[in-house]
Amino acid sequence: MTTREFGDIELRRVREHVWEIPQEGEMNAPARVLASEALLEQIGQDKTLEQLRNATHLPGITNHAICMPDGHQGYGFPVGGVGATDTTDGCISPGAVGYDINCGVRMMTTNLTYEDLQGKEAELVEALFDAIPSGLGGGGVVTGDAETIDDILARGMEWAVDAGYATEDDLAHCEDEGFRDDARPEFVSQKAKDRGRNQIGSLGSGNHFLEVQRVTDVYREDVAESFGLEADQIVVLIHCGSRGLGHQTCTDYLRRIEKEHADLLDDLPDKELAAAPAGSELAEEYYGAMCAAINFAWVNRQLIMHRTREVFADVFDRDWREMDMRLLYDVAHNIAKKEVHEVDGEDRELYVHRKGATRAFPAGRPELPPAYADVGQPVIIPGSMGAGSYVLRGGDSSLDLTFGSTAHGAGRLMSRTKAKQEYWGETVQEELREQQKIYVKAQSGATVAEEAPGVYKDVDEVVRVSDELGIGDKVVRTFPVCNIKG
Amino acid sequence: MSFTLREHTADVAVEAAGDSLGDVFAAVANGLTAAMCDEVAATGDRFSLSVRAESREAALFDYLDELIYERDVRGVLPADHDATVRQEGAEWVVDASARGVPFADVTARDVKAVTYSEMRLEEGDDGWDAYVVFDV
Repeated sequence: MTTREFGDIELRRVREHVWEIPQEGEMNAPARVLASEALLEQIGQDKTLEQLRNATHLPGITNHAICMPDGHQGYGFPVGGVGATDTTDGCISPGAVGYDINCGVRMMTTNLTYEDLQGKEAELVEALFDAIPSGLGGGGVVTGDAETIDDILARGMEWAVDAGYATEDDLAHCEDEGFRDDARPEFVSQKAKDRGRNQIGSLGSGNHFLEVQRVTDVYREDVAESFGLEADQIVVLIHCGSRGLGHQTCTDYLRRIEKEHADLLDDLPDKELAAAPAGSELAEEYYGAMCAAINFAWVNRQLIMHRTREVFADVFDRDWREMDMRLLYDVAHNIAKKEVHEVDGEDRELYVHRKGATRAFPAGRPELPPAYADVGQPVIIPGSMGAGSYVLRGGDSSLDLTFGSTAHGAGRLMSRTKAKQEYWGETVQEELREQQKIYVKAQSGATVAEEAPGVYKDVDEVVRVSDELGIGDKVVRTFPVCNIKG
Repeated sequence: MSFTLREHTADVAVEAAGDSLGDVFAAVANGLTAAMCDEVAATGDRFSLSVRAESREAALFDYLDELIYERDVRGVLPADHDATVRQEGAEWVVDASARGVPFADVTARDVKAVTYSEMRLEEGDDGWDAYVVFDV
């Protein structure tokens, strides 16, 4: 049997790209890492494996705690982590969702080609940067009063349709059609609402960005056609989350769990895994608040997409509808959802926690919108601003291996502090423009340095593993043209 | 009091030291400010805040959370922190102040939240040490 050791953790190779940490001691299940040898070597360099092993202590964790190919150290639960817990005798863990509830990505397609855009890159990147709020204190597309915030929390993208920022077609191409009807705005604190009111429609900063891309490679022609994607096409990728409202919601419930369920917390190896017992009042309230924050994040990305359509209309001097600017799909990265999965031959309802992981349902799952019911859902995997991104489709093996999940990005390799020592933002920007024709505009050089292409893992390798495991199948690859960051 | 930004794969960590609990709390807060901004302008008015919690660690967590909240609702970067910490019965009380630098005067990046991950707050021979990871 092939094994690998990292510190006191031994992994056994189950089959190609599948590694297992056997159940022992207080673990409630084994843990699995889905990675090639090269990716596992990187994953083993920080505390990812320790955090993954810790995640197996969550009550009711089912089958395995799983690390996706892009996994890396987070806080509590690793980024790239998937953990399913029973909704009757398990738990729900805000720590396994993360602070940025429904951080996610969406892709908008156009009928423009790269040739249509060439010569306008500088104008477009400046116009997008001017129009789309980003960074700290950049405001939002909309400033909401109390009634507006509650409406957004309760109705998600349906609010955006009524307010003129979205179309019915947008709703039909969003996970859960853009709103969670389990949302309970009354369980979102006033503090969280205060933080959200001037951030509705804003990128934020960190690794969040908006990128105009061109499709460079098509791997599955039939699926690409179903997704409306073809070579040389211009698409727009938007990556951001629920902003201060979501961050505060997670913080509030972590503290409440600390106060109200200290006994459960004492049994967990890391306080950041904070979990509320399934069926408890706190679990129900957190689920309602988290679903409301999910709605907020969908509206956030929708408003940014709306502004992007307006900018394209200005720059290309035509109505955005003439450019066929359609939402391909919007997928969440940090989320816990009640889903039914087959476990030991029986259907069970589980809280599927995905923290830095993407739902990747294959054809046939009832949750998929009609447009993708027969082909599988689009999965959008952003790379760094100097590398390609991918569109996958949910793979047939995802339900058996990962509760219908795959990776969410390239995954960080280098710390932010080290990145600022290694890279100079202005130099990175110049090199990207001169060597790869990528136009980057950011609030600060430090942001560019922290997000330099070299700080990320090889997204091609992450996607290769996903594709070979059959959890997310390669459909197209894209390459950046313009990128704005907070 | 002093702080150092420490490496963390995805986020940022602050290691801080101070002669007293109040000093080390303020030092961590200065580290939070440094994580958001490289050059802090000398502008802005001071504001006060106060939190109470059930333990020293919870008080540190709530204090840093409150600073992030004040940042977002006031639209300022909190800087030049002062804090005192005292015990009142079963609770720990933090009285603090910071200078609120208008966002218009700085180029700053978001820090999303304070975390308990790897949090350390210990008294040693030379005072107090703390280690806090922030979500970026």
